[in-house]
Amino acid sequence: MPMTRSLEWGAAPSSSPLEAAGRLQGWILMAPALLIYAAFALYPMVDVVILSFQKWNGVAAHREFVGLQNYLHIFQDDPVFWGALRNTLIWTALAVVIPPMIGFCFALALNTPVPGRGALRAVFYLPVIIAPIAVATMWKWMYDPFFGLFNDALTNLNLQRLIQDWLGDRKVALYSIFVAFVWQQVGFSMVLFLAGLQGVSQTLVEAARIDGANRLQVFRYVALPAMRTPITIVLVLSLIHSLKAFDIVYGMTLGGPAQSTQMLALWAYTQSMQIHDFGKGSAVAVVLLAITIAIVVPYLAWRNKLDAKEGRA
Amino acid sequence: MNSPSLFRPVGSSRTDPVLVVLWIGLLLLAAVWLAPVFFIAMTSFKSTPDVMNSSAFALPAQWFTENYTIAWQRGRFNTTFINSALITLVKVPLGLALSAMAAYALARIEMPRKKALLAVLLFGTMIPFQVMLAPLFMLVNSMGLLNTYVGLWLPYIAFGVPYQVFVLHGFFKEVPKELSEAALIDGASHFTIFRRIFLPISLPVLAALLIMDFVATWNEFAMALVIMLDGRNWTLPLSLMAFQGEFGSDFGPLNAAIVTTVAPAVIVYLIFQRYFVGGLTAGAVKG
Repeated sequence: MPMTRSLEWGAAPSSSPLEAAGRLQGWILMAPALLIYAAFALYPMVDVVILSFQKWNGVAAHREFVGLQNYLHIFQDDPVFWGALRNTLIWTALAVVIPPMIGFCFALALNTPVPGRGALRAVFYLPVIIAPIAVATMWKWMYDPFFGLFNDALTNLNLQRLIQDWLGDRKVALYSIFVAFVWQQVGFSMVLFLAGLQGVSQTLVEAARIDGANRLQVFRYVALPAMRTPITIVLVLSLIHSLKAFDIVYGMTLGGPAQSTQMLALWAYTQSMQIHDFGKGSAVAVVLLAITIAIVVPYLAWRNKLDAKEGRA
Repeated sequence: MNSPSLFRPVGSSRTDPVLVVLWIGLLLLAAVWLAPVFFIAMTSFKSTPDVMNSSAFALPAQWFTENYTIAWQRGRFNTTFINSALITLVKVPLGLALSAMAAYALARIEMPRKKALLAVLLFGTMIPFQVMLAPLFMLVNSMGLLNTYVGLWLPYIAFGVPYQVFVLHGFFKEVPKELSEAALIDGASHFTIFRRIFLPISLPVLAALLIMDFVATWNEFAMALVIMLDGRNWTLPLSLMAFQGEFGSDFGPLNAAIVTTVAPAVIVYLIFQRYFVGGLTAGAVKG
């Protein structure tokens, strides 16, 4: 709209006094948020990379440059790193598949005309609101081998042979934590999918039904194509969320027993803040950061292209 | 329940039996989903012998409210509750105000390098702060702000800004030019236009972001863990964690502590439910 543009900014080319004043006001409005963001989010990210090439114990006045030593250590000598990486990958693979799938089913079910949809949606979303550390505390106690909910229920059902030390057994602990995570996360994907389903044209659905398409065909040929974008978004967000898994593991097992539930985020924290080896902790953190960036950057590029295509610049 | 279209698929006038079955399935699942919450709430009212001797699913033999008093004292909730409240009630409005100002400038003022700034901010919505706990601790420490509210407010604001700016920028950009141009011609500054025109019309979005940020801040654990080292400055999640470690087998008070920690966020959620959906989907799906 060239008319309104010339109205707003005057007919003069680039730099009128009004525009310069506007720009100054713009910087004043942006400055606080951008400065805090740069100092407390961007700078630490750069610092973690620098630290990963240094040796520092948290108190010494000098941070000594050691080249790739920290990386060599975590890749070759650290007995925990590979286990933590493996657990992070298992966790992420599960987190990308299971909660979104359940969330999708819930969303489809709640998108039908059944009574009490709002209340049901609120119930499934409720765990998202609960602090992850409280979720961890709740489930740790439900998993209690003697007095917890699970073993009690198994005893009542006469299934004593299934009784486990849910968080004390190295083979099952990671999956026990994951069940708590699923309980908490499903509502998140569900709400995003529900929003996506609102975008499925009801006229199209109705037309397909009139033309004799059955339920499955409507889903396959009308709903699913319209859901491509929400599905991708939920999958990427789940992926990023899962890489950061920290609170829930910290609260339930602290990475134990015998490091069997250790993950990269928690191991980076433990190395730096508990063992006071900031260099090695940062090297672990940089590995996690690199994995995240490898996913985030292509995703943002894709979003950008999508927005441009739909005219949202 | 009285709506004539219940249990009827689009374009059909008959009740669909499949939907009735689906509905029953949903009700069962909802019961499963609520079971842990119910279990925690019931246990929080049981005395220790009651927990040991009764089934996990049984109602309390007698309602033992003392658990809450015990939890409150042991968890030093007098202090931690106030810490959590102060940290949340200052951080959330302040952070949102700063985000809104920045979002307005990025959306409505012709600025150089706007695209690059937006891209850097958008990148921040995706980066896990869990990666930077150690450098954050060092930074806050070097400023002498460990164990202070300011030391936690600043990083909280820093990690809240990207998402909020992103959502508000999207919203401000869609506001028709006519709304602000008359004021600009009359010589009003951008500060005035922001405050008088843009803030009032974006109240629903601001409310959604405010509620979401309230819950996120109230629940935050990892950053508080590295910055609030002194027990006197702990927030509720930190004190719940300590409680779990020290009195983890004292099930009545433990569950009372869980309920106390979770209650404010859940109450806020139940009251402002519809805003959550708005805030969440505004950023993620619509972009």
